Amino acid sequence: MKLLVNLLIIAAIIGLAVWVIIRTFKKVKTGGKCAACDYDCELKQLKNRQTRQHLTL
Amino acid sequence: MPSVALIGNPNTGKTTLFNSLTNKYAYVGNWTGVTVEKKVGTLKDSAVQIVDLPGAYSLNPLTKDEAVVTTYLLHNRPDLILNITNASQLKRNLLLTIQVLERGIPAILILNMIDDLKRSGRSYNLDLLSERLGCKVLATNARGHRGIKELHDQIANYQRVTAHPLQLTYPPMLQQAIRQASEALTADFEFEPTLARWLAIQFIDQNKAIRKIARQRKLTPLLSQEKYYDAQHFADKIYDTRLAFIEKLLKDATETGQSQQPQLTSKIDKVVTNPILGLPIFAGIFFLMFKLSFDWVGTPLSDLLDWFLSVPVSNTVNHLLIQAGAIPALRSLIVNGIIAGVGGVLAFIPQIFTLFACISLLEDSGYMARAALVTDRLMQMIGLNGKSFIPLIIGFGCNVTGIMAARTIEQPKERLVTTLIMPFMSCSARLPIYSLVVAAFFPHHQALIVFSIYFLGVVVALLVAKLYQVLFHVKDRSVFIVELPEYHLPRLDIIWHGTWDKGKGFIKKAGTIIFAGTVLIWLLSSFGPHGFVTDSTASYAASLGHALVPMFKPIGIVQWQAISALFTGVLAKEVITSSMMVMFHTSSKAVLIAALGQFMSPVAAYAMLAFVLLYIPCFATLATIKEETGSYKWVFFSVVSSFIIAYITAFILFQVGSLIF
Repeated sequence: MKLLVNLLIIAAIIGLAVWVIIRTFKKVKTGGKCAACDYDCELKQLKNRQTRQHLTL
Repeated sequence: MPSVALIGNPNTGKTTLFNSLTNKYAYVGNWTGVTVEKKVGTLKDSAVQIVDLPGAYSLNPLTKDEAVVTTYLLHNRPDLILNITNASQLKRNLLLTIQVLERGIPAILILNMIDDLKRSGRSYNLDLLSERLGCKVLATNARGHRGIKELHDQIANYQRVTAHPLQLTYPPMLQQAIRQASEALTADFEFEPTLARWLAIQFIDQNKAIRKIARQRKLTPLLSQEKYYDAQHFADKIYDTRLAFIEKLLKDATETGQSQQPQLTSKIDKVVTNPILGLPIFAGIFFLMFKLSFDWVGTPLSDLLDWFLSVPVSNTVNHLLIQAGAIPALRSLIVNGIIAGVGGVLAFIPQIFTLFACISLLEDSGYMARAALVTDRLMQMIGLNGKSFIPLIIGFGCNVTGIMAARTIEQPKERLVTTLIMPFMSCSARLPIYSLVVAAFFPHHQALIVFSIYFLGVVVALLVAKLYQVLFHVKDRSVFIVELPEYHLPRLDIIWHGTWDKGKGFIKKAGTIIFAGTVLIWLLSSFGPHGFVTDSTASYAASLGHALVPMFKPIGIVQWQAISALFTGVLAKEVITSSMMVMFHTSSKAVLIAALGQFMSPVAAYAMLAFVLLYIPCFATLATIKEETGSYKWVFFSVVSSFIIAYITAFILFQVGSLIF
């Protein structure tokens, strides 16, 4: 039982690390800018806020 | 939601004002080109949206960031415009003001940095300015929070500000052309009269963005007269009329008094921008920064933090894990993997934050703009100009933001060259590996060695830029205009915000990509063809490293640990350090330093630093290169060229160095 819990914890940590790497790569692919930094920086906030508006002339 | 736009020339304090008015902190730089896109915040205690636009000298866009302002005014109709001006440079600032006021949107003219004007012994009659320009005029000093409350109240009650489109008296023929075009636009395209008149003036004034829109929308009243407008040199007449109006206005509104302070800024500038002394002073200031970060302040604090993480934290966790019945593999993952790797990188926080604090101090004091000026001549020699200097300096913090800041460069090829040389700027993510190596091999000259690596990066960047200038046939040059702000005593809160803004990403990275990279390298160094191994020399990481030794031997790197660690640098450069900690199975920086010293000579260590500096950029930088150039071709080019350049440089350094030392 103890061994199983140990293995589960190891699997969870490795799973989390793999998920972080995949998420970071995905963000980069979708133009997430400083995806490796993974923090809500000014540039990323700008990027998210940018809405494609059409000319309203 | 009502919106208020901040518009003004570069370096007039828009972002400082934005920070004072809103609840959020945006990066403030006392130099041009800090805001390359618009920022949005909400007015304190109100539901009014504040939009901070990049600095622009004119609505006729020269650069990508200037185009943001014109595009914004075309696509949006804010409820109020705050036109921020530098009170000491009103003559030039008012050229943009006129274009904004002609748009016919309610506006307030802000004379910012009013204290600097007062110190020079001048002041303006605000009532007269208000009367002639047809808008409310306020004086503020955003840095000292003076006039902010009154401005806040004005914005909160934005409905009370009424629009009075400015109508200058242009020469009769020009006036007639504007009238005819705007009437036709109103009749045929149902534009409201004020917008039609503004469009007509901007079109006649050869505004590239407006002419492009006119073609897209087939605005025939303007397009049919285009050649006539240009043949009559109406654009020149518009400029002359505006200039004459401004000169008359300022002559009438200026009230001279007693100068309170001699021109201290001019006195300092005589020395720091001196053609001969400028560059050595610049180099000296940067060297001092490295001394503070690596010798005097950063490293002693870092050693304390390293001890705390590697002794009490590591031992306690290990002890607790044993008590809880954790198997050796789990203890190894947590203690030798996560704590050693992530903690090993976090131990370098003092050096990084000290360096960022120094850069923030230089920015806030007003020196950075001078640094751009003194490097302009050097940049001219390699075909770039001071305009590239600002993104390159930003690249010292993070290459991603540096590449984005290169948007301010208007010539596409010049922008491309700046983008491609950006990865040679030593970003802060490389600092942990520098700190580690210099502490191991050059303990008495840490600052000097790190300074020389930064210098090497700049030299390589400039040489490569020169090469690319020739390869890409770059002929057009960007216009470089730099505002030299008055020197200020740096404010602690601005320095703190600047330091935190630059450094917080490093801490967040520790919890994400550095953690993930550390676990990845722990897996590779703890498992081999025969399963879990306690001796990492039998691991997959060792197999990979050993296989590549012949390739790296000519540049002095013969340890499989170092070779495997270099690969993880593509995830993020900090991961190189955490990988080293994991592969050497230690959570103590001191132990790793001792271990490294046994396997490598100082010459090989220096060559490795040069290789780390120049080799393949991290994938976030590569993604940004793809985003900004729009092509995978340049990503591939960057990967291949940087690896070749790094290899050649490290090879020369190691081979020549081995002969000498």
